[in-house]
Amino acid sequence: MNKKALQWFYQELPDLVNKGVLSPDAANKIKEHYGEVKVRDKKWMFLIVCGVIGALLIGLGIIMLIAHNWDDLSRGARAFLSILPLVIGQGLSMWVLLKRPNSDAFKEGAAIFLSLMVGASIALISQTYNISGDTQDFILTWMLLIAPLVYFMQASIPAAIYLIGITSWAGGFWDAPAKALFYWPLFLVVIPHFIWSLKIKTYSLRSTILSFVMAASICYGAGFSLGRNWPGGWVIINSSIFTIFYLLGNLSFDKITINWQRPLRFIGGVGICVLMFIFTFADMWRHLISAQEHFLVKSSPLTLFFDSVITTVIVSVSLVLFLHVYRKKDVLKILFGVFPVLTIFGYVINMNTVILSPLIFNLYVFGLSLFCIMSGIRKNNLSLANIGMLILAVLIIVRFFDSQISFIIKGLVFIIIGSGFLATNAVLVRRKGGSK
Amino acid sequence: MKNKGLILGLFSLLALVQIVVPLSMISNRETIIKEGVEFKFKTAPIDPYDAFRGRYVWLSIKENEVAVPKGLDLKHGQLVYAFVEVSEDGFAKFLSLTTEKPRGLAYIKAKSGYVYKGKVRLELPFDRYYMEEGAAPKAEKIYRQHTSRDKQDAYLTVKIKDGMAAITGLYVAGEKIEDVVKKVK
Repeated sequence: MNKKALQWFYQELPDLVNKGVLSPDAANKIKEHYGEVKVRDKKWMFLIVCGVIGALLIGLGIIMLIAHNWDDLSRGARAFLSILPLVIGQGLSMWVLLKRPNSDAFKEGAAIFLSLMVGASIALISQTYNISGDTQDFILTWMLLIAPLVYFMQASIPAAIYLIGITSWAGGFWDAPAKALFYWPLFLVVIPHFIWSLKIKTYSLRSTILSFVMAASICYGAGFSLGRNWPGGWVIINSSIFTIFYLLGNLSFDKITINWQRPLRFIGGVGICVLMFIFTFADMWRHLISAQEHFLVKSSPLTLFFDSVITTVIVSVSLVLFLHVYRKKDVLKILFGVFPVLTIFGYVINMNTVILSPLIFNLYVFGLSLFCIMSGIRKNNLSLANIGMLILAVLIIVRFFDSQISFIIKGLVFIIIGSGFLATNAVLVRRKGGSK
Repeated sequence: MKNKGLILGLFSLLALVQIVVPLSMISNRETIIKEGVEFKFKTAPIDPYDAFRGRYVWLSIKENEVAVPKGLDLKHGQLVYAFVEVSEDGFAKFLSLTTEKPRGLAYIKAKSGYVYKGKVRLELPFDRYYMEEGAAPKAEKIYRQHTSRDKQDAYLTVKIKDGMAAITGLYVAGEKIEDVVKKVK
C-alpha cells in the first residue's frame, strides 16, 4: 500500500476514534493489519540535501576563485594552492570515514567536495603551466581519480558527476569511435554502485537522480560510440535503448522501491514516443542511409568488433525484455516493447522499398493511440486516455504537414480533434465523479 | 571493524594517487623549465574563455608548418616529432619531422594537423596562455595596437626538453604581457 496514504490514514485514526467512527479496538486492528510505517526523518533528509548543495556550492566557488587566475602569485604559491584544496577535501573525507561512517549526509557532501577539488587542482596546474587544451585528457584524468570515491564513500552524486564526465569525454571523440568505445567499460564502473543504491531503500532521491543521469548518459554515450560504420543503424540502437529503459522501469522487483523506476520509465516512454513519430516520416526512411554517409568514420576491425558486440547486447536485451512482457500478456507494455522489433523490420524492408516502413509506423502509432484511448476509457484512467488522444492528435497534425490538404479540411479536423479531447475528458471526469 | 580498516587503507591509497598526479604534472613542467632550451615563437594572441580554467589568450603560432618527408603518409592526429631550430631573425622555426622518437637535436612532440601541398600544419602542445581575469582581452587589444601587417611583434618563449614544451612567457613589443597590461590600467 502507498506509504504516504497510510501515513495520512494513521494521522486520521485518533480523530476517527474520538468521533466514534471507529472503535479503539478496530483502530488497533487496522494498525496491526498494515503494520508500522517508517516515517522518514525529515531533518535527516534535509541534512543530506543541505550537505549536497553546500558541498557543490563551496566546491564550485573555489573553482571560480581559481579561474580568476591571480597573476601576482608565484609559481611556488600556485603549486601550493593547487594541492591545498585537494588535501583539505581528502582530510574532510578521511574524517567522515573515521568519525561519521554512517552519515549519508557527511559522506555524500565530503565526496562531492573532494571530487570537485580534484578537478580544481588539475585545472590550476594546467593554468599555471599553460598546459595545452586537451580537454579530453583533463576530464578523463579527473574522472578516473574520483571514480573510487563512489565506492569508498558510497556517494551517488559523485557517481553522477563521473557519468557526466565520461559522457562528455566520449563526446569529444565522436570522430574517433575507437576511443569513444571506451565509454562502455568506463560506464560499467558505476553499475555496482547503481544496483547497491537501488537496494538501499532509505534514500530513494539519490537513486532517482542517478537513474536520470545514467539514462541520459547512455543515450549520449551510445550516440557518440556506436554504429559509426552502420548507416542508419541509429534507428535500431536508439529504439532498443529507450525500450530497455521503458521496460526496465516497468519491471516490478520485489522489495525494491518504485521511485527509481520512474526516471527510467519516463525517459524510455518519452524517447519511444519521439522516435516513433520521427519514424512516421517517409523522408526519414528515404534518406536514412544517404544522410549518414558523410558522418561515417573508418574504423579498425577491432573497433568494429567491439561496436557490434555492444550493439548486439543492447538489441538482444531489448528483445529479451520484450519476450518477458509478451509472456505476461500486458498489452500496453507489449505495444511499447515491440518497438525495436518493428524498427528492425522497418530497417530491413527499407533496403528494398521505401514506402512500407513509414506506413508500418503510421499504423503502429495509430494503433497505439487507439489502444491507449480505449483502455483508458475502459479503466477510467484519465491520463492514459489523454496520452492516447495526444498521440493521435500529434500523428494527425504531423501527417498534415506532409500532405497537400486544404486549410478548410485541416481546420475542421483540428476542431474535431479538440472537441474529442474535451468530450472524452468530460465523460471520464463525470464517470469518476459518479463512482465516488 | 575489519572492513573499515580496509576502506581506510584503500582510501589513503587513492588520496596518495590523487596527490601524486598533480604533483607529477608540476614536477614535469618544472624540470622542463629548469633544464630545457628556450626558443622564441612568433605568435598572435586571441581571447576566448574557458569555463574551467579561467581566461587565457589563444595562441596562433605563425611558423607551425613543416614539410612532410617524401613517402610518409601522415594521418590526421598522428604523433610526430618536429625538429626546431633558430632562424636568422632569432625566432624558432620547424626544420623537418619524423614519426620515430629522435635523439639529440631539439624537437617537439606534436600532432599532425591538415596536410596541404606537401606541408603539414602541426598541432603544437602550446596553444593557450592563461592570464588574470580581465587581462586577456586587454592583452589581445594591446597586441592589435602593436601590430600591423608588416610588423607583428608578439612572441612566445618556450622551453623544450626531450620533446616536451613549457611556456615561459608571452611578450608584446619586447615586454612581458603581464607588465604591459598593468601599464594600461
